[in-house]
Amino acid sequence: MKEKVLTVITLVTFITAIFGAAYPDKPLNFIAPGGPGGGWDTTIRVVAQTLKETNLVTQPIVVTNMPGGGGGVGLAHMQTKKADPYTIIVFSPPLLLINLTGQTQYSFRDLTPLAMLIHDYGAFAVSKKSKFNSISEVMEALKKDPKSVKVGGISAFGSMDHIQFLIAAKAAGVQNLKDITYVSFQEGEHLAALLGGHIDVLSTGLAEATTALQAGAIKILAITAPQRVSGILANVPTLKEEGIDAEFVNWRGLFGPPEMPDYAVEYWINALSKMVQTAEWEKVVAKYNWTKAFMPGKDFLNYLEKVNEEYKVVLKELGLYKGE
Amino acid sequence: MYGFKVVFIPSNFLWLTLGCFLGTVIGMLPGLGPATGIALLLPLTFVMKPETALITMCAIFYGAMFGGSRSSILLNIPGDGSAVASCFDGYPMTLKGEAEVALAISAIASFIGGLISSIAFVLLALPLAKIALMFGPPEYFALMVLALTATASMSEGKVLKGLLSMALGLMVSMVGLDPQSGVSRFTFGNLELQGGIDFVVVIIGIYGLGEVFKNLEKIGRGEMLQPIKKKFGKIWITKEQWKRSLVPMLRATPIGFLIGILPGAGGTIAALMSYNVEKRLSKEPERFGKGAIEGLAAPEAANNACSIGAILPTLTLGIPGSGTAAIMLGALMIYGLQPGPLLFEFYPEIGWGVVASLFVGNFIAAVMNLPLAGLLVRILAIPPKILYPLITALCFIGVYAINLSVVDFYLLILFGLLGYAMRKFEIPTAPMILASVVGRKFEQSFRQSLMISGGDFSIFFKSAISVTLLILAVLSLVYPTVSAALKKKRHAV
Repeated sequence: MKEKVLTVITLVTFITAIFGAAYPDKPLNFIAPGGPGGGWDTTIRVVAQTLKETNLVTQPIVVTNMPGGGGGVGLAHMQTKKADPYTIIVFSPPLLLINLTGQTQYSFRDLTPLAMLIHDYGAFAVSKKSKFNSISEVMEALKKDPKSVKVGGISAFGSMDHIQFLIAAKAAGVQNLKDITYVSFQEGEHLAALLGGHIDVLSTGLAEATTALQAGAIKILAITAPQRVSGILANVPTLKEEGIDAEFVNWRGLFGPPEMPDYAVEYWINALSKMVQTAEWEKVVAKYNWTKAFMPGKDFLNYLEKVNEEYKVVLKELGLYKGE
Repeated sequence: MYGFKVVFIPSNFLWLTLGCFLGTVIGMLPGLGPATGIALLLPLTFVMKPETALITMCAIFYGAMFGGSRSSILLNIPGDGSAVASCFDGYPMTLKGEAEVALAISAIASFIGGLISSIAFVLLALPLAKIALMFGPPEYFALMVLALTATASMSEGKVLKGLLSMALGLMVSMVGLDPQSGVSRFTFGNLELQGGIDFVVVIIGIYGLGEVFKNLEKIGRGEMLQPIKKKFGKIWITKEQWKRSLVPMLRATPIGFLIGILPGAGGTIAALMSYNVEKRLSKEPERFGKGAIEGLAAPEAANNACSIGAILPTLTLGIPGSGTAAIMLGALMIYGLQPGPLLFEFYPEIGWGVVASLFVGNFIAAVMNLPLAGLLVRILAIPPKILYPLITALCFIGVYAINLSVVDFYLLILFGLLGYAMRKFEIPTAPMILASVVGRKFEQSFRQSLMISGGDFSIFFKSAISVTLLILAVLSLVYPTVSAALKKKRHAV
């Protein structure tokens, strides 16, 4: 009898231990697949901060930087965390691009999309002294001679800064996309290179462009957003306004490891959907000039399938696509 | 003057002191650099006023420069690239029993380098910032060529060995994803190698672990069972030592400051270049590498000057001069501030506050480092059989902290063995280290230039800057051979 009671008690304890204790009951691991200070790092750190401030997540959140391979190292790390409900990573378009260009065998299908959180956009800038006063003039020059305009950016060849410019160029009717010079600057000299006249056009992000614009040294010709943004860039036209039917969204969202358990996925979709409605989130989004763009699990996955095809077309044209 | 008022507000002053301390500690730990320190602190600064936040970040930045050389001098393990040159004569000084002098001159030189650069910052900020714009890919390429050849040819009579060492470093820097084409190179299908080999792994391996291996051999032979040092003196220098170091410090400061302004160069180049210059100008170059005080004073002054130079284009043009400065710039933006010449007009409390904090912070860091050095130097009293296992552990922890990658452990051991072998065969290590730090930039600027010119090599000879730098590079290679030949001739007569 005594033994039976003990068995029952033990069983009950086990069951509560498994189902009863609320997830998450230990510290969470957030990963930025890039170095400190970059876009991924900033995004995941402010998400962690906001979740804590709003008490939506009470467990401690540890943010770890795992740079390398344009995000590929972080992506590979997630593969070793299969079904782990405590590891979460942030990603953006390079997640798809580095797979399409063959830099990594893993794709977005090897992660569990939790939610898209924000949209950021690209911007095309020239030096204040530049002869170009609109993006159409740049495209016209490219149409005449694809070698005549030198484009620079921070991303590697075939990654975000490069692709966003080519998407615009393609829509503007520029032929021979392959012949356009793209120079990658990864040590922080991209702005100096633009202002010093070493490159003609800088393809970059809104945040980068905003800083330089405030310093008064550049002109921003166009942004890749569907509508104009507020603040200091309110005067900058979109590509569409300039007669170029293209946009490029630098979406950022959170992902779990492959085969993340359903209860954890539900928990995060729920927590994040609450977070994006808080005043705290509103504040940081405004601070960084982001656009709120919440899109949970399945929808996010469908979105990724769609943009993946779009990127594929451009990369194929460049001869950078390494798929089947 | 207005700026000093801002700095001496108690809360600002407190954070400045705290930042200096934190920076020193971060700088001392191998693997952790100022960029990581500032990024970690960023959320904390959200609650501060912008000027306080910026002052704290600057304090961490130059605190780390002060701290970075401690382990170079005492243990021959540089915490980051800019502290490599401090090993060359700092560690031999320690072995000679002059650790106190070495630590003292390092703090003093850092202070002087920082002080002079701060003054230059105030007087010449705007015109100097323009230099950053004159450097495009061809100019950077020429600068890298000069830095590499000057360092490779530094060891007289061993130019070939120097070039061999440089080639090794360049090979290391080629590993990883090529940014201009996106192709993986020498990664053997390993994803973790795609990001390239972090040069801090190379540094800690070659110097830290290499040193341990070398001493293992000594211990195996029954030598070196005593601690390096048992008696400790005051952390100070003599008048004679001061005289020897003053001019080198004054020469090194402008070199460091100017290189700091360039966004694509950094502390490693600044320190090594100033070391090269001192060795070339010295009447007794043979003393270098054996504990010459001027060989430590120069790079220490240069790397601090460089860190201040890096802040200059950040504040005046909105162009960050280093990774750390880029993070600071990001922080400025979060507060809705506009970097650029207008910063000083619209927000004098921030612009001048930061400038004043350069002066005060440098002073605090120097004052803090002198007693701290007295404490640190006692590491040398630890018996080798305890000290070396400790250093080994520190090397592994430091390397793991960079990328949290196990692959780096294997690399560390590999570079440790390489470092040991290079010491055995008397191959200089400096060219390899410099090449592994700047190799990427060296190659990329070459290819960036050719992309811009459409494959036309004449782009390297189009600007006066790049031509001058290239001529200097050729001279630096030819000079040692010629001067050796001349010496022989003189001896023959």
